[in-house]
Order: sequence, then C-alpha cells, then structure tokens
Amino acid sequence: MRTYVLRRLIEIVPTILMITFVVFVMMRSIPGDPVVALLGDAYTEEDAVKVRTEYGLDKPILVQYVIWLGKLVQGDWGTSILSGRPVLKDVMVRFPVTLELIVLSMAVALAIAIPAAIIGALRQNTWADYSATSIAMIGVSIPEFFAGVLLLLIFSVAMHGTLPSSGWIYLPGTCPMLVCIGSVWGNAMHVLMPAIALGIGRAALLTRLLRASMLEVIRTEYVTTARAKGLAERPVVLKHALKNALIPTVTVMGLQVGFLIGGAIVVETLFAMPGLGTFGIDAIIARDYQQVQGFALITAFAFVMINLIVDLTYSVLDPRIRYA
Amino acid sequence: MSTVPDAGVAAVGALEAESRSTTSESPLALALRRLRKNKTALVGAAIAAILVVVAIFADVLAPQSPIASDQRHTFETPSRAYPLGTDQLGRDMLSRIVHGSRISLAVGVASVLLALFVGVPFGLIAGFYGGRIDTVIMRVMDLILAFPIYLLAIILMVIFTPTAGLIGTIKVVGAIAIVRIPIYARLVRGSVLSIKEKEYIEACRALGVRDPSILFHHVLPNSLAPIIVTTTLGIATSIIVEATLSFLGLGTQPPTPSWGWDLKANVAFIHQNPWLSLFPGLAIFVTVLGFNLFGDGLRDALDPRMK
Repeated sequence: MRTYVLRRLIEIVPTILMITFVVFVMMRSIPGDPVVALLGDAYTEEDAVKVRTEYGLDKPILVQYVIWLGKLVQGDWGTSILSGRPVLKDVMVRFPVTLELIVLSMAVALAIAIPAAIIGALRQNTWADYSATSIAMIGVSIPEFFAGVLLLLIFSVAMHGTLPSSGWIYLPGTCPMLVCIGSVWGNAMHVLMPAIALGIGRAALLTRLLRASMLEVIRTEYVTTARAKGLAERPVVLKHALKNALIPTVTVMGLQVGFLIGGAIVVETLFAMPGLGTFGIDAIIARDYQQVQGFALITAFAFVMINLIVDLTYSVLDPRIRYA
Repeated sequence: MSTVPDAGVAAVGALEAESRSTTSESPLALALRRLRKNKTALVGAAIAAILVVVAIFADVLAPQSPIASDQRHTFETPSRAYPLGTDQLGRDMLSRIVHGSRISLAVGVASVLLALFVGVPFGLIAGFYGGRIDTVIMRVMDLILAFPIYLLAIILMVIFTPTAGLIGTIKVVGAIAIVRIPIYARLVRGSVLSIKEKEYIEACRALGVRDPSILFHHVLPNSLAPIIVTTTLGIATSIIVEATLSFLGLGTQPPTPSWGWDLKANVAFIHQNPWLSLFPGLAIFVTVLGFNLFGDGLRDALDPRMK
C-alpha cells in the first residue's frame, strides 16, 4: 500500500509538468500582451522592452518555463505582472474559500443522493422511486449558474435578502487582511447558496448512478445471504449493499472533478466570491501569465490528488482491492 | 487442414443469416419500437424537435427584433405586449430567447458532430492498427483528457478571442469540439478492440476484404450504439458548456443573442426585474432536459442491459 501511494505520488509529477507546460505555451500564444495592459496609455516601446526584460518575457518560451520551474522548486510561484503581488500569497488566501465551497457542495450532494438512491432502489417502480428519478433527471439538466440564480430569486429577492446575494465573510483563522472579522455564522450564510448551487447537479448525477448500482447489488447472492441469515434490513442495506454500490459511483465522481472546477468558477463568479475560481478566470482574461500559471498548478495538483484519493477509496470500500 | 475453409464458410453463412434477419426485424427497428414505448424519451424528442423548429423559424416566430433597443420600455415585466418582459435596453425578452435558441442548438449539435467526425476515425485507427500509431493517438487524447475540461475550454476561447456572429459561433464550436474529441476516440477504440477479435472480422479478412472496408462496413456499424447515445447526451453537455462560456463572457459576443450571456447580463438587475434572469435560464434548462431525456431513452432502447 505504502509503495503504491508513493509510486502514484511520483507519477503525479509528469502530469503536473505537462499540464502547466501546455498552459504556459497556450497562454503565450494568446494574441496581445500583458505588458500593453500594464503600461496602458503611457505605453512606449522603450518601456515595454524594459518591462519585458524585467519579467523575462523576452526569452524563448522554453527558457521562460524552465526559469518558472526553477523558482517554483524554491517555493517562489512568481509575481503577478499586473498587481505586483506574489502569486503564492494570493493562491493561499483564495484556496480555503474554494476548498470550503467544494467540500460543502459534495456534502450537499451526498446528503441528498444517498437517501434518494436507497429509496429509489428499494422501492423500485413505486411513486417514491419515480419522484426520486424524475427529480434527479431535472437536477442533472440544471446548469450551476441557473441553480444559483433560482436560489438568488428565492432567498435574496422573494425573501428580501434572507441570504446575502454576494460577497464573502471569512472563517475565523483564514482571514487574509490584518483587520477583518471572521465569523462562523456570517460565513455559513455566505456559503450556503453557492454550496447548494454547486451541489445540486452532483446530487442528481450521484442519485442516478447510485440507484442503478444499488439495484444491481441488492439482487446479488450475498445480499440474499445476508437477509437469509436474519440480518435486519438496515445493516443489509447500509453495510452490504450501499458500500459495494458506492464503488462505481466513486469512479464517476472522480471523473466529475473537471466539471466541479468549472462549476466553482461559475458559482464564484455568480456570487462574487473571492475564491480560486474567480482568481483563475480573471487572470486568464487579463493574461496575467504568472497568476494563470499559479492557477493551473493548483488546479492540476487538486485534479490529480483527487484522482489518487478516488483510487485509494476503492480499497476502503472493497477490502479485496489491494494495491501492492 | 480443412478447418480454415470450413471456418470461412461458416462465417459467411453467419453473415448471410445476419443479413436475412435484418429483413425481418433489424436491431434498429427493434430499438425504435422500444423507444416508441418510452414516454419520457418521446417528451425529450418532442422538446428537441420544437427547439429545432423555433431555431429555424426564429425570424418568423420572434414578435420583434432581438437587438433593437427601445429606451421608453426598459425593464418591463411580462405583459401582453412583451410576454416575457424587456431588458435594460428595452429589448423584447421573448424575441431574444427565440433567437438565442439558434446559438445553443447550433453550438450543441455542431460541436458534438465535429468532435465525432474527428474523434471516431482516430479511435478506429488506434484500435484497429494498435502498436505505435495507437500509442501516439492515445497519448495526445490522454493529454487533452488530463485537463479539467473547463480550464481547457476557457483558455481555448481566450486564444480564439470571442467575437460576435457566425465567426464567433464557429470559435465556440471549435473550443468545445476539441475538449470532446478524446471522448469519442476512447469510446470507439474500446469497442474496436473487442470487435476486431470477433469471428466475422476474421471471416472478412479471410475473404480478402480491404481494411478501410472492414473498418467502415463491419467494425463501425457494430460500435454505433454507444456512439449514438454519447452524441445525444453530449449535445446536452455541450449546450451547458456553451452557456457556461457565454455566462463567463467567453461565448458568442453581443449583439448576437445568447442565453448564457443574457442570464449573466440580467443577474445584475435581479432586484429590478427578477423575470429577466429567470427566462434565459429556464430556456437553457428545458433544452438540456429535452436532450437528456431523449438520450436516456435512446440508451435504454439501444442497449436494454445498460438500464
């Protein structure tokens, strides 16, 4: 197990190098130049040359990438051309916001999906099953931003601002500024709508998958055996059926990470949250090379790490699966 | 060594038997019969069909111009004159929704078809020939798949620089198609790998059928079912991706009407006129729901085991 994890961790390195390199090249092939934006109206060819030399933008792309990597190894993620702030600092400030959003949205998804799927599978072809599957079908067809807008319409417009429509209050301890009051309650109020908006689609998808695999599992012989030996329905469903039905579901959830990152960008934009999603999209649009690299790096890292966690979850769910 | 010709004859016999059964009830007819019984799939098909009609006849169906502004009638709530109200420039929301269907459908369908026409041949070649060519193709596909899809689509759109009109739409189609190509290549490669070991392919080879003919007449038709299902459900996903790009301001640019863009523009005025952000979102939702329902029904019809 330990060697397996170690091998997988080592395999992560080339994937991250590849993703960051492709992003590096792609960003520099975008027409236009951040130096022009930086200098604005005061643009002169001399200043532009000076700035380019200062940020190493006059060197060949491959050399620039190696320089970026070299600094990265020393813990320097570079400095934003446009804001002048160190990229690592910005990423660290914004990371907890997005992490909280994603973790809570997954919690929302699981809280809805597990009961819905169990009811759907155990009462197949009853009204309870039909309503669970229809609601799930509706759920998978709602894009995150529309789910968010519906929540805004309910909680901010119809209920006159019961929940705040935008902005953020930091959890105590994650505050980026010296003077700022973190608050658990305020944070909960701000994160509730975004987490539900991001979670609904995942909940619907999970329900459909989990119901289908539950249906398969409850017809297997070991579930019949469990029932035959007189186990109560509850442990049969939760311990024997659900655990095994979760395996294919976990795989698909892993594949959903790419969509989750897109979803985070959208939801953060809609609710004006200071997370990584808004950081990334702003950086890409402004062509802030260093910030985009930081964003690509952290996203790629999260992406491969989640895939690794997914693979490791298998052996927890099914002890027969062992990694040597 | 008389087994080889025997096997050939048997295989040809099997091929003939297969073609005979086609005349009585082909798998397609069987699938269509199953599909007709599936009510939710028919609802999905009806939604998709209505949308296609709306998109084609948008000029006739829209009561007003989708881009003509009218400063005297801004932020109107739904009324007889403006069934879905007007936006901050006094443009008729109903007309914008009707015209917006064009972008959503065009991008949804075109991007999936483009991905299909590029991805399927790659998958066929990779799976059928194997070896180095397989490695090269699949490495490139894995490279694309290694990206979180929105990150790639967003960067591609920034590189293409979003514009309005037909060119702007083509750029979005291209960006979405690129991220979807590997899905088809992988899918087709997988089924080719299992099909090419079947006896009827061996029989074709024994009969001297050329590779391209084997690929297109024997291998491809047998991997068609998952391709069709992936395509229908893929249209739904592509419509969401398009709307998301538009929402982020990276889709087709104004004045071309687009649901995602309208939703984004009108959320800013959610307190002045809540209706405005509701309708474009509803339009996206109904469209995606239609294709999802139809795709689900198709999957059940084409492969009852996958239920």
